[in-house]
Amino acid sequence: MRLPAPTSSRIAGDDDRFVVELERFQGPLDLLLHLIRSQDIDIFDIPIAEITEQFVKAIEGIDEHVSLERAGEFIEMAATLVRIKAQMLLPRRDDLLDDQDPRSELVRRLLEYEFFREMAYTLAGAEADRALHRPKGYIEPRLQPDMGELPLQLTLEDFVKAAVSLPAPPERKPHRAPVRPVTVDEKIDLWFRVLKEKTRVPFEWFMRRWRTRIHAVMSFLAALELAKRGRVRLRQDRHFGTLWIYRGEADKDS
Amino acid sequence: MLLASETPLGPAEIARASGDLSAKDVEEAIAELCHEYENDDRAFQIYPLGDGYQILTRPEYAPYLERFDSITRTNKLSRAALETLAIIAYRQPVGRLQIEELRGVSASGVLRSLQERGMIEVVGRAEGLGRPLLYGTTSKFLDHFGLRALDDLPRPEELQIALRTEE
Repeated sequence: MRLPAPTSSRIAGDDDRFVVELERFQGPLDLLLHLIRSQDIDIFDIPIAEITEQFVKAIEGIDEHVSLERAGEFIEMAATLVRIKAQMLLPRRDDLLDDQDPRSELVRRLLEYEFFREMAYTLAGAEADRALHRPKGYIEPRLQPDMGELPLQLTLEDFVKAAVSLPAPPERKPHRAPVRPVTVDEKIDLWFRVLKEKTRVPFEWFMRRWRTRIHAVMSFLAALELAKRGRVRLRQDRHFGTLWIYRGEADKDS
Repeated sequence: MLLASETPLGPAEIARASGDLSAKDVEEAIAELCHEYENDDRAFQIYPLGDGYQILTRPEYAPYLERFDSITRTNKLSRAALETLAIIAYRQPVGRLQIEELRGVSASGVLRSLQERGMIEVVGRAEGLGRPLLYGTTSKFLDHFGLRALDDLPRPEELQIALRTEE
């Protein structure tokens, strides 16, 4: 969207000293503060006309990439500036008190915001220092080995008891298992679901459930396909070692 | 107990488990241990976080730990989140509207993600129209920034004075 620039002819000139990238700013107050501080302007005596012009020029770049809500926040500030500018132009009576300067409310907001902006930097520093200290559990536990790989621990007595309690095996009937075809797409869905829970999964984890070759092949193809699309990362430290499937960067926050 | 815990433990909690120690005894024992770890040049130290203590690795070992796993776990907060947290930390209990007015931008998205991360919580409701929710910081907030208490933050006056003298 384009803004109706109030004094377009002059602003559209070659004076691009104050071209700013809007994305860098948290909001209108941040931008305004930047304009004031970067030019060493006395915040208690803001040249409103000049600043308004620069502000409007800065937000001229608002386009369809900027959300309507965000654009509205900047435009609202532009309107406030224009209003203050108009009030400044009105003849002023001498008996007006200082705090009736039309700029005073804006100055108060700017100073207050500046305090919290500074605090945010202080917090960022504290955060970075704190991040250098790692707690127990920073290294995630390695996945447990398959229970089937553990050596059996039971006495002969237990074994006999367990064997006796088993029902007699049913009579053997020859039968053919229906072959259910499995597709790469199904496996892709499965990878997504698992990676939503965990940041990484060993490839074997999938093999444990379906021990047939077709499932192994399809799972592998699915993993390759996802890696190609950049949705997962694969990592294997040595030949025939564990193949890890990591969640891709883009899906980290999902 | 500190060694077994993944989160900070308060001296009172530790004392309760030991039976015949007071919280003060525990504090003293922790101070003693800190001193010992310092002298022995250990790779870890007991750090005060919020109203508890936790064993953490020393900062100089951070690069090794980072290299250990290829997963980078950045949990850095955005500037919007930091500004919002700063406001909540100083003004709590504080409502969404006050935060939006201070920052001049909408706050609902930031508040939601801060809540999801456990940095802030709803601490009550304001009087007046719609009884808006009021937010406050949590002990996780203190932990994330390595603070013992909210008093560790610089006092508003200190910064205000800094602003004035700059001009």
